[in-house]
Amino acid sequence: MAMHHLKAHICDASHPVNRIDPRVKLLCALALLVMVISCRGVAFPLLVSVSSLALCRYIGTTWRLLALRFSEPLFIAATVLLLKMFFSGSDPLFSFGVAGYELAAYREGLKEGVLIASRILGGVSLLAVVGFSTPFTDLMAALSWLRVPQVLVDVALFAWRYLFLLLEEAQVVYNAQKNRLGYVGYRRSLSSFGTLAGVLVIKAFDNSQSITTAMVQRGYDGDMPMTLQRPLRLTEVASALLFILAMIALRSSV
Amino acid sequence: MTLVALPLLSATPAFAMHISEGILPFHWAAFWYLVLAPFVALGVRRLNAISREDLSLKPLVGLLAAVVFIISCMPIPVPTAGTCSHPCGTGVAAILVGPLVSVLIAAVSLLIQALFLAHGGLSTLGANTFSMGVVGSFAGWLAFRGARRLGGSLAVAGFVAGLLADWATYAATALILSLGIRGEASFTPLFVKVVLAFLPTQLPLGILEGVITAGMVTLLYRKRPDLLVKMRVITEKELPAHA
Repeated sequence: MAMHHLKAHICDASHPVNRIDPRVKLLCALALLVMVISCRGVAFPLLVSVSSLALCRYIGTTWRLLALRFSEPLFIAATVLLLKMFFSGSDPLFSFGVAGYELAAYREGLKEGVLIASRILGGVSLLAVVGFSTPFTDLMAALSWLRVPQVLVDVALFAWRYLFLLLEEAQVVYNAQKNRLGYVGYRRSLSSFGTLAGVLVIKAFDNSQSITTAMVQRGYDGDMPMTLQRPLRLTEVASALLFILAMIALRSSV
Repeated sequence: MTLVALPLLSATPAFAMHISEGILPFHWAAFWYLVLAPFVALGVRRLNAISREDLSLKPLVGLLAAVVFIISCMPIPVPTAGTCSHPCGTGVAAILVGPLVSVLIAAVSLLIQALFLAHGGLSTLGANTFSMGVVGSFAGWLAFRGARRLGGSLAVAGFVAGLLADWATYAATALILSLGIRGEASFTPLFVKVVLAFLPTQLPLGILEGVITAGMVTLLYRKRPDLLVKMRVITEKELPAHA
């Protein structure tokens, strides 16, 4: 499933949202994320969530992909909400009996749970916009511009470049194992899974050797040349600042 | 009451491998980034140093990050919860490249998962990398080295490393989660509840991860022992007769 999910992230470069400089997008998203997770009310995170979802639809993200993306966070949000509601607080809201036990929901817990759930939805929606509208390499270039250690960016680029290759190889090995009843029974499944993971490590070693040989022949000396970043335009800086200030104002008014 | 809630809570870790975006309030998110920073700095220094000696190491670490990503995307059925969970994969990364570089592998793997799969998040990247990358890697590496020093075979050491890396990751996650969501409530009861919630899936999953790690290490020993020598997991004296 992960492969389909990842491969679906193909951005339409001509879309206006996708054309925004990744550095501007990332800075605005990070500023909004800080506002969302430091918020004490539910209105702002929910507003961010709804706007981000609308933006995702505007850039052409399908409902199916959104559902896939939000299934886990929604489940977590619901679980945290229930956990807080039933185990946190002192002012009872309602109670009911389960298997001879009295389970009570508390007002303060419900309030805290709703707040955390809204922050989860706000944060996840924000990242969805960034993820769906920006190619990975552009995001890494933006992180490099933000002074994230170059070696970390290099490793991320290598990982992304060869992720799909390894995923395909994993799929081939998995299908071969499955066709030979490798996943029948718990013990055999475990053994097959261990072999599959081991094969991937061997493939990673072998590929890293051939990649290095090919790269050295092309002048690789240990440093990955990143795309030279043009200086941000004044209009881009001004619009990012304006957007962040507007969001700060909105956050304090809702 | 805790017992009544266990079936409800036990599903959490099955789906929530990492702490989701937005769960931690700003001050806790920032705190875990600060705690993580020195480990990342040391990892960066270590990788820069070793990749100067061998140019293939940086691509190798990238590919291992991809492997950890794939391993942690593979669901494993957990009978006690009647659902699926997945291993961490940092135990084997720590065995092969050491715990400091394994922190970088976990960070990259978690970054890709956060950006493109909504597993974890950017605000919780510090916390998740600390639990999976720092705690998991060091626990796995120390367990492996300890078991080998005590005379354990590669399979036994691999099993112990995978088991402890997984359990330590979840103990750290439970701690981070309890501190982050407790609000006005007291810490200890919530921590106990979160740990109890993790138990039904993580007890068996830790054992599964141990078995898988042992399987991976022994497969490498059988098929490509030269790689284990290169990564200083075994010495040349320990090479099998056919190698």
